Amino acid sequence: MSKSDKNKTPSLANWLISRFLDDVYLEEFLGDLQEMYEERKDEKNLFYAKLFYWIDAIHLLFGFSSFRIFKTQNNNLMLRNMFKIAWRNALRQKQYTTLNLLGLTLGITTCFIIGLYVHNESTYDTFYDDANRIYRVNQPNIWGDWTSIASSTGPNVAIALKTDIPEFEEVTRILSYGDQTVKYEEDSIQLKSFNELAFFLVDENFFDVFSYNEVEGNAKSTLKDANTVIMTQETALRYFGHQDAVGHTINVKQYDGSWQNYKVGAVIANIPEKSHLQFDMLTSLNSIDAQMKRDGWKWIWTGFSTYVKVHEGTDIATLTEKIQAVPPKWAPPTTEQIFNQTFEEFTAGYPWKLYLQPLKDIYLSSEPDVHRFGPTGNPQFVKLFIAIGILVLLLSSINFMNLSTARSANRAKEVGIRKVMGSRRNMLIKQFVFESTLYVFASTLAALILVELTLPIFNSISGKHIELFALLQQPLTIGSIVLFIISLGVIAGSYPAFYLSSFNPIETLKGKVSAGFKGSKIRNGLVVFQFTISIILIICTFFVQKQLAYTSTLDVGFAKDNVLQLHHIEQLGFDTEALKNQLSAFPEIKKIGKSFGLPPNIWSGDRYKSTEPESEVVQFRNVRTEADYLDLLGLEFIAGRNFNEENSSDKLKVILNEEAVKQIGWGKKDTYDTDSPIGKKIAIASGSEDEFEVIGVVKDFNIHSLKQKIDPLIIINHQNDKVWDYGAGNSFYSLRLNPDVVKDKGDLEALLDKIEKVIKNMDSSVPFEYSFMDQDFEETFRFEQKMATILNIFTIMAFTIACIGLFGLAAFSAEQRLKELGIRKVLGANVSQLVLLFSSEFTRLILVSILLASPIAWFLVNEWLKDFAYRTPIEIWVFLIAACSALIISILTITYQSLTAAYKNPVNTLKSE
Amino acid sequence: MKNKGLGEFEELILLAVCILEGEAYGISVKKEVEKHSGRSILLGAVHITLYRLQDKGLLSSEMGGNSEKRGDRKKRLFKITDIGMRQLHAAQEVRVKMWHLIPKLKPGF
Repeated sequence: MSKSDKNKTPSLANWLISRFLDDVYLEEFLGDLQEMYEERKDEKNLFYAKLFYWIDAIHLLFGFSSFRIFKTQNNNLMLRNMFKIAWRNALRQKQYTTLNLLGLTLGITTCFIIGLYVHNESTYDTFYDDANRIYRVNQPNIWGDWTSIASSTGPNVAIALKTDIPEFEEVTRILSYGDQTVKYEEDSIQLKSFNELAFFLVDENFFDVFSYNEVEGNAKSTLKDANTVIMTQETALRYFGHQDAVGHTINVKQYDGSWQNYKVGAVIANIPEKSHLQFDMLTSLNSIDAQMKRDGWKWIWTGFSTYVKVHEGTDIATLTEKIQAVPPKWAPPTTEQIFNQTFEEFTAGYPWKLYLQPLKDIYLSSEPDVHRFGPTGNPQFVKLFIAIGILVLLLSSINFMNLSTARSANRAKEVGIRKVMGSRRNMLIKQFVFESTLYVFASTLAALILVELTLPIFNSISGKHIELFALLQQPLTIGSIVLFIISLGVIAGSYPAFYLSSFNPIETLKGKVSAGFKGSKIRNGLVVFQFTISIILIICTFFVQKQLAYTSTLDVGFAKDNVLQLHHIEQLGFDTEALKNQLSAFPEIKKIGKSFGLPPNIWSGDRYKSTEPESEVVQFRNVRTEADYLDLLGLEFIAGRNFNEENSSDKLKVILNEEAVKQIGWGKKDTYDTDSPIGKKIAIASGSEDEFEVIGVVKDFNIHSLKQKIDPLIIINHQNDKVWDYGAGNSFYSLRLNPDVVKDKGDLEALLDKIEKVIKNMDSSVPFEYSFMDQDFEETFRFEQKMATILNIFTIMAFTIACIGLFGLAAFSAEQRLKELGIRKVLGANVSQLVLLFSSEFTRLILVSILLASPIAWFLVNEWLKDFAYRTPIEIWVFLIAACSALIISILTITYQSLTAAYKNPVNTLKSE
Repeated sequence: MKNKGLGEFEELILLAVCILEGEAYGISVKKEVEKHSGRSILLGAVHITLYRLQDKGLLSSEMGGNSEKRGDRKKRLFKITDIGMRQLHAAQEVRVKMWHLIPKLKPGF
């Protein structure tokens, strides 16, 4: 057999095998591999043979290799020895070992939990078959701020894209149906009724873009017909139990109170949790054919989301450029017809851009920040998490370094002896790195157990369903954990390794290495670093709490307590006076009022302008209410009056808030005397002829979360039949409860029962849903509250880790200074002096950390508070409290060590030398 | 270990070794099993199983039979041991017994 023949097999694979496998196997395996290789080469081709050579070789490697990274001649012996030394050292110094493991375990646990969370957040929507080729079309918010991006478009964007651009394989649209009351009557007795929130209308080709598993029926063909629905399994279970769903008929309530039949055409598997697209029911857009055919609104009916699937290998940058030509070409007829404006006038000079956003990025993007069809992630939160994870891991690695170098005194003699016996430096480095890797390994195992135990708690705080075991079964996870152990072991172990192995054998054996005080500067620096970070976190936590407390005490401009809000009133028809009269008779209810929107969620808005010549168009929020609702809120009128329901001419009058008056250019509160806004007229800026007279101005009140500034608001009479959405939209009855009558939970439940009966008597199909205004306001801070809780936990973690390190260092220092303290005692120092002397060494470090941490924390807090419209002031006393508590806890940490050291009998410490 | 029954794959490998009678080494065993079971198997899986069976004492082996195709390397030839043969029989018996206990086979099965 010639040499050249032998070289034909992949040499890297051969090298790996010879390196990692026991010699006894080599001859046989290489022989087998070559034999197969020759055969495969003859049967198929060279590439196939090589590919399978590699597959077989790697398989053999995994099957037969043992841990033989340091393959030397006396490999096993050396490894066993390294292990033995590490074990002995760990046992000899139980306190250090425990502290080291504890610190590392806490750090790694935190890091893993954060890693799991970040992984979960960043892998949304990856389960679709062609996820890489799916994009959503975004465009500017054409109803207001043209510089912000919205996730929705008009229905004709999709049609224009499909017509003009051949690069798109599919273009599909989704429209939310809004709240729908749906019922299923099995027979006249059995009736099931639900309020469906995730009921979408989609194009026929929806399933060509988004892949879902069918359970029953044919989903794709179902979408061809009008008035058929596709349900998820969960939804089908709700209506039909365990029987087949396909073929049944459900009824969807229409605005006029009639019921539209929908036939169930297919059932698909439940939507995976990790998708930004969450629905319970789908029906074809053909079901609203009449609306879809109506001309005019096609480019400004921005209720749709447009998704595209591009052909394989399409260059997105070029494609994005190409689609910019679409809006200027197709939109002008709409703007001219509806607003009587040219395209340029309508866009006010801003480009009507179309953006292609990759499907996988949608969930976790901050722009656009609302995704309409499901959950939205928070990229800031993820970034904050990553930062905290790295910091905590860093803190625990520093602990490890500090404790390892501090106990160098105990290892100095070992190093000396080893060097004298002929050990080379790199062998010693290997030994120390090996030891640190062992520590990391042990801590990682402990951390995995801790993660498994604490995940349920984390899940309940964060609202996620993260599972560790499912992930652990993936080879990629195992691989990353192994990589993590090795890299952390090397990082945390390298500094101690280089430091310890640098000792001069002569000096160490003479006892001259002044026990670990070498390198104390670096150690002190690291302690300062640890505490700086911990104190920054503590100060930030204090401010987050303070801000949350501050906002909850803020005055929103009206009394938000004791307001019960009934939903779905629109389903009772437009005239709901009967319900109002019945409820008004209840002694529990002080006042009752109807509105078509509820603070803090008044999002509807329109473009308005003053009827004076040359006036600018302004964007206002609007809400339709009756007079009683404004009374119920207790709004303060700074000019003019409330609606008068007796006076029928009031139905075309409007009320503004201060901000709206200011923005339309009618001056501020102090100019009202000379130039009153009352009696001026306002019109909708879409070329409509109708003018509305202003009869009142209310003091600004919060229609949104307290994070935001107050938007300009126009309050329209609910009887106003000149606005386009007259008679439509969700309406609510708000009830101001009398706290003297409704004293406790029992009273409240009794009242709710009574109200439910009244409503069910009128129409049993109307779902009974209610909310409380103060809770709705609290809800707007849910995210911040979650963040505060999690920040608290991690701050405690970080500080605990830092304290563990401090405790270890103090213990070490106490041991070193036993003799010094003994002599001082003999010479007359008392215990308190000794404690002071001993503590001051560490207290100084903490003080330096406080000085460093304060300005950084101030900067961070200031940045964070910028997002809020109402900020708690940054006051010095918060810094003082945070600093003092950090100082006190760290002093307590070292007190135990300093007291035991100070109380030691000098006779015992000094007698032996 | 000895009382533990044979795995399905282990049984296939043992049978293949018996069939090959003295000519059983990694590749020939792999081919034999592939031929009869109709599934494709990785070489490493065969080797791992052969060695495991040897550790259990069901197989014995010696080196021999080099050929040019193998780059002049020797093969490890496997033979079944008495214990191996007994285990194989035992496994077969259990199956036969259990088959007999099935009350009534439905027609068509």
